[in-house]
Amino acid sequence: MLVSRWEKRVFNYILRLVGNREDALDLSQDVFLKAYQNLRKLEDPGRFAAWLYRIAHNEAYSLLRKNRPEGEMAMEPSTANATARMYPMELSLAVERALSRLTVDQREAVQLKVYQGFKFDEMAEILGCPVSTIKSRLYTALDLLKESLAPANTGRVS
Amino acid sequence: MTCSSVDLKAYALGEPSGGPGEAAHIESCESCREELERLRVTQTALLSLTDEEVPQRIAFVSDKIFEPHWWQRMWRSGPAMGFAAAALLAIAIFAHAFVRPVTVVQSTGISAAQVQRMVATEVDRRVTAEVAKVAAASNAREARAAQMLEAAEKSFELQRQSDIAMMQQTARYYESKMGQLMVASNRNYGGAQ
Repeated sequence: MLVSRWEKRVFNYILRLVGNREDALDLSQDVFLKAYQNLRKLEDPGRFAAWLYRIAHNEAYSLLRKNRPEGEMAMEPSTANATARMYPMELSLAVERALSRLTVDQREAVQLKVYQGFKFDEMAEILGCPVSTIKSRLYTALDLLKESLAPANTGRVS
Repeated sequence: MTCSSVDLKAYALGEPSGGPGEAAHIESCESCREELERLRVTQTALLSLTDEEVPQRIAFVSDKIFEPHWWQRMWRSGPAMGFAAAALLAIAIFAHAFVRPVTVVQSTGISAAQVQRMVATEVDRRVTAEVAKVAAASNAREARAAQMLEAAEKSFELQRQSDIAMMQQTARYYESKMGQLMVASNRNYGGAQ
């Protein structure tokens, strides 16, 4: 029940952070195992989604830290090769390219807000940051994405 | 309300923070409308990415990787545990039959006849001791019985002598009384004549 409802969302969230399908699958399993083991510690069932994504965030960042030196944390993940075959349409490719230019923090903020639909305070809980930091990351990301996907002269997708 | 005070990104993302005047400003401001339109196009483009299907089902408690080990299953199964215990016991008995140290009886130079004599002597000694013990107990009981009998006879003799004395005293009393009655009777008879 727990897995079937959330596995696809969590898997895609992690996939777009780590950029590797195998790693995303392994991490997703770890996330649900930890969630299952620690379910009793969840005090407010209404905050389950934020709690689950907090676990997913920690797992993803543990892998990113392990795989990369600290200075390279903001480098783009190798999602383009992994997803190019899955999104042959030009728009999808443009979005992939635009997302890959963001830092991991910015991309995660876009993930949580645009794709997962969390509110600012929930994002702050998941990422362990103040709302102001969340907004800063997200707004910077949106400005970059907007320049790529909706340039000022046309207002349309490039 | 001015353009700088409007949080267009929060507005576009569905969490407006500027109050009721914000929407009115955006409606009336061309640059804000254009900016909002670009943000919405960006969002629409982002949402064109569809979620990827999970390659294989994520394992969970019901899946194979979480199945208990063979020893966990056996531990939870009463019959299997009983069978394993019985098998272990059988193996132990079988092994014991082969590895049991052989008891070697070393000759000490004592013949069977000597052993028999020793056994007979020991049996005699023990029997004699038991008989002596029983006889002593019997003698003690007889002595106690004799003492009790003697005491009873003595008591009976004293009682008998006491009874005889009392009888003699009573007889003497009746005898004197009879004498007095006889004398009185004779007097009365002589006076009447």
